[in-house]
Amino acid sequence: MWEERRFRAACGAPIALRRREHSASCRELSVRGPRLQLRSLSAATSAAWLAAYALFALCQNSMVLSAAIFITLLGLIIYLHFVKIDQESLLVIGSLGIQVTSSYASGKESTTFIEMGQVKDVVINEAIHMHKVIYYLCILLQDPEDPQGVSEVVPLFQSSKPRLDCLIEVYKSCQEILEQRKTAPQSS
Amino acid sequence: VLYLIWAYIPETWLFSLGLTYWPQKYWAVALPVYLLVAVGIGYVLLFGINMMSTAPLNSTHTITDNYAKKQQQKKFQEEAIPALRDIPISEVNRMFFLPEK
Repeated sequence: MWEERRFRAACGAPIALRRREHSASCRELSVRGPRLQLRSLSAATSAAWLAAYALFALCQNSMVLSAAIFITLLGLIIYLHFVKIDQESLLVIGSLGIQVTSSYASGKESTTFIEMGQVKDVVINEAIHMHKVIYYLCILLQDPEDPQGVSEVVPLFQSSKPRLDCLIEVYKSCQEILEQRKTAPQSS
Repeated sequence: VLYLIWAYIPETWLFSLGLTYWPQKYWAVALPVYLLVAVGIGYVLLFGINMMSTAPLNSTHTITDNYAKKQQQKKFQEEAIPALRDIPISEVNRMFFLPEK
């Protein structure tokens, strides 16, 4: 079934890589980040509410308190639904394509499918991001006019940036499937 | 030197010399302050400009550029060191990450 291994993200948080081989030409890899911690949630909430209480102590307007409660609730819902990504998964089907899914903490899932004809290769690229150089996995899309060129780069695992050891595992799994499409046309 | 003269000699003396049209003394202090604040902001600005002009993670500039696309392939000669060229990222990846240790 699922094989699970623990790794670290670029920022140091623990992440887990789960691999499943559905068939010889179909693999599913998913990276799960840590769940929303109760301590960070309560720290943020207390900070917001203490600041609101300080404001209330200054201006004696009780609307500040209710506004703070409302904003905290709204901010939490928006964060869980639009920002906090729990799990990112990659489903590689040999002759069909690659499907990338991101599941948010509120249960929302957003999926992208790239068909195999457009995929040139899956590589580990290093680039400058903010103030550091990070390794990230990306799908190179083929340029229809120029067979050697790359038309677009689709970065994967953007929110749970895994480190190089995790990326190498995912890279090897993907390359095993991508190599098959070079040999398959000759056999058919 | 002219700047120091202008900054230190009191206004009345300058007027008596006939120099009534020189700028107000306020600027003798204001201009250096402007300069120093500009230098300080320049640090932050330069940092910001650098970060904005770095290619985003999903651009092809992280993989290749104009010179690499137009390079010519030199013919392979026996027993000679291969010519210098930009190796495509797929080959580099295969060489680095695929061989089993």
